[in-house]
Amino acid sequence: MIIPLLLIIPIITAVACILTKGHAIPKYISIAGSFITLAYNIFLNYNIYTHHSLIGLNGFFYMDALSILTTQIVTLVGFASSLYSAGYMTVEFNAGEFTEKKLRWYYFLFHMFIFTMLMVCVINNLGIMWVAIEATTLSTTFLVGFYNKKQHQEAAWKYIIICTVGITLALFGVILTYHSSSSALGEIGYTLNWTNLLTVADKFEPHLIKLAFLFILIGYGTKAGLAPMHTWLPDAHSQAPSPISALFSGVLLNCSMYGIIRYHIITSKCVGADYSCTLLMVFGLISVIVSIPFILVQRDYKRLFAFSSIEHIGFIALGMGFGGMYSVYGAELHTFNHAVAKSLLFFCAGNLFLKYKTREMEGIRGVIKTTPITGVILIIAVLAITGTPPFNIFVSEFMVLADSFSSGNAFIIVFSSLLVVCIALIFVGFVYNVFKMIFGAPVQAIPTGEVSKFTIAAMCFLLFFVMIISFYVPPLLREILSNIYDIVRNA
Amino acid sequence: MEQPIIVNSRVIDILAVLMLMSTIILVGTSRLKTCIWAYAFRSFLLTVASGLIAYFSGLHHIYITTGISLLLKVIFLPGLLFYIVNKTNIKKEIESFISYTLSLLLSCGIILIAYYATLSIIQFENTFMRHCLPVSFAITLIGFFAMITRKKAITQVLGLVAMEDGLFFAALSTSYGMPLIVELGLFFDVLVSVIIMGIYVYRIKESFDTIDTAFLSELRE
Repeated sequence: MIIPLLLIIPIITAVACILTKGHAIPKYISIAGSFITLAYNIFLNYNIYTHHSLIGLNGFFYMDALSILTTQIVTLVGFASSLYSAGYMTVEFNAGEFTEKKLRWYYFLFHMFIFTMLMVCVINNLGIMWVAIEATTLSTTFLVGFYNKKQHQEAAWKYIIICTVGITLALFGVILTYHSSSSALGEIGYTLNWTNLLTVADKFEPHLIKLAFLFILIGYGTKAGLAPMHTWLPDAHSQAPSPISALFSGVLLNCSMYGIIRYHIITSKCVGADYSCTLLMVFGLISVIVSIPFILVQRDYKRLFAFSSIEHIGFIALGMGFGGMYSVYGAELHTFNHAVAKSLLFFCAGNLFLKYKTREMEGIRGVIKTTPITGVILIIAVLAITGTPPFNIFVSEFMVLADSFSSGNAFIIVFSSLLVVCIALIFVGFVYNVFKMIFGAPVQAIPTGEVSKFTIAAMCFLLFFVMIISFYVPPLLREILSNIYDIVRNA
Repeated sequence: MEQPIIVNSRVIDILAVLMLMSTIILVGTSRLKTCIWAYAFRSFLLTVASGLIAYFSGLHHIYITTGISLLLKVIFLPGLLFYIVNKTNIKKEIESFISYTLSLLLSCGIILIAYYATLSIIQFENTFMRHCLPVSFAITLIGFFAMITRKKAITQVLGLVAMEDGLFFAALSTSYGMPLIVELGLFFDVLVSVIIMGIYVYRIKESFDTIDTAFLSELRE
């Protein structure tokens, strides 16, 4: 009962949000609900941490260090995002962008989205995990198309079609896994539980598992935003309301990556680590390279940040693919770092949009003068996301690169050399584009001051984590990350 | 498995071939309503096949999925699609990026690929799987093909449900269906996704005055 409660809290919050009247109450319910989820998750994770892993409801639920990290990111960014929503959506509501009923639906879908993401991380059954990943698409389609203008509808249509097709291909991978487990195992294989599959993974038919992993990587990779299946991502991330974009980039991508890693572990145990690691590396590098031109010539800042997410998810895939102790450790740390830094960046983007009413970078100048706090946080967030020392992303990127260069494997060294060049190019494009917005004289007369206290609170909350990891990785996090390495390696 | 289940029925082979043919209708015809009828017909064949498999194998949980798929795929979803077509008043027939003759030719190629791919990769345990798995893979691929070559939003939905049918049949033919709870989740996802897509077909029609996805070009670099 201890794990299901984590899933029940967001559902109760969602239902409470839609049943209340008025436009002020749902936002407080939403903040309270996501805070309780966060607090409960810390309590739960502490329990798991002391027992190493936790199985609930006859093996239906399963959590270990990998789940801890992902649920922690979901609840942390979820809380920050609900705090931010309280400010952002209220300003938009007061501007008459949508009705009160739609606002309540927004909070309902927001918490259902949190619920589906938590579901992905705590479920043991790979079939149900597939259902949950598909459910994340379904619960967010209306959020992408929330404003319901032409471009939002287009983004939502593209999102649901491309992601559903991708996920349907992943289903073929699940079916192949199920087939190989049921023919290798008999009765025990009929459950499709990850823990059961792992114990006997070495008895599977290698061809089948290879094929299954390929389908899973393409399917879940579509949802994770790996190139060349990423085409829905910039549209959906730029058209969704900013708090949702933050959840998309920071958390949703990691949830799909979590699904890939679960299969990666089974595949490595069956056919050796080389096969799935190479695939992860190739797709990762393609993603990083594909994002470069779009970052260099981008005109829309939300799309810029979205392409940066493709780069970072590619980086995480590369780190997992390198497979060394510190690469995996660094990739997982990067997952956390990217989640907080990118969400922070999307929060800044939301503030800019509220202030300037445009998504074009041309129309925005002198952010530091009009909204000083947002401006300063934006500078820090941009430096952090591009991997500038001493910020958190630098720490994890350095770890992965240092480990790959010292691995002695020529193949890996070529990949990481290319990666260094890509990161440098992306740094140039990013800083050039964003710093033009931050400095300079404001183009039109815009009243100075911040738009909402809630948004600043949410940003400071995330900024705290960005700064902490920059200088110091807490021992608890360090322990969890090395446990993840053990889980990945034990294969 | 303790004792091997033997499903060796000519009837299922015939059903599989008929299902494949009704999928080809999706790429070979220009009439939208014919395509929806073909979908309903294919789902009906699939239901019959899964009922027969349940009978031969003696696995009772397949009866439950058979019942749900009868209600959902044969009655509800085709009905919903007809409702959307009538409501959005789609007059023009299906438009394609490539001609129908070429589509038919390419789908023949897809069937060949499906046979070669499955034969070379998977060791078959019985003739039932040997006959049915390539067919299900071909249905999935043809659905995918229809999605990427057809312009209308509603045809993309039809392609998606074809893919889903193919995979359902693949699960049946490789391992007599997935665990019941997973199947229930799958049905739920298919139901919700088709409903959401239906809503968006309607909204796109309202604001773009067409459901031709080639006109969706607001978002460009």
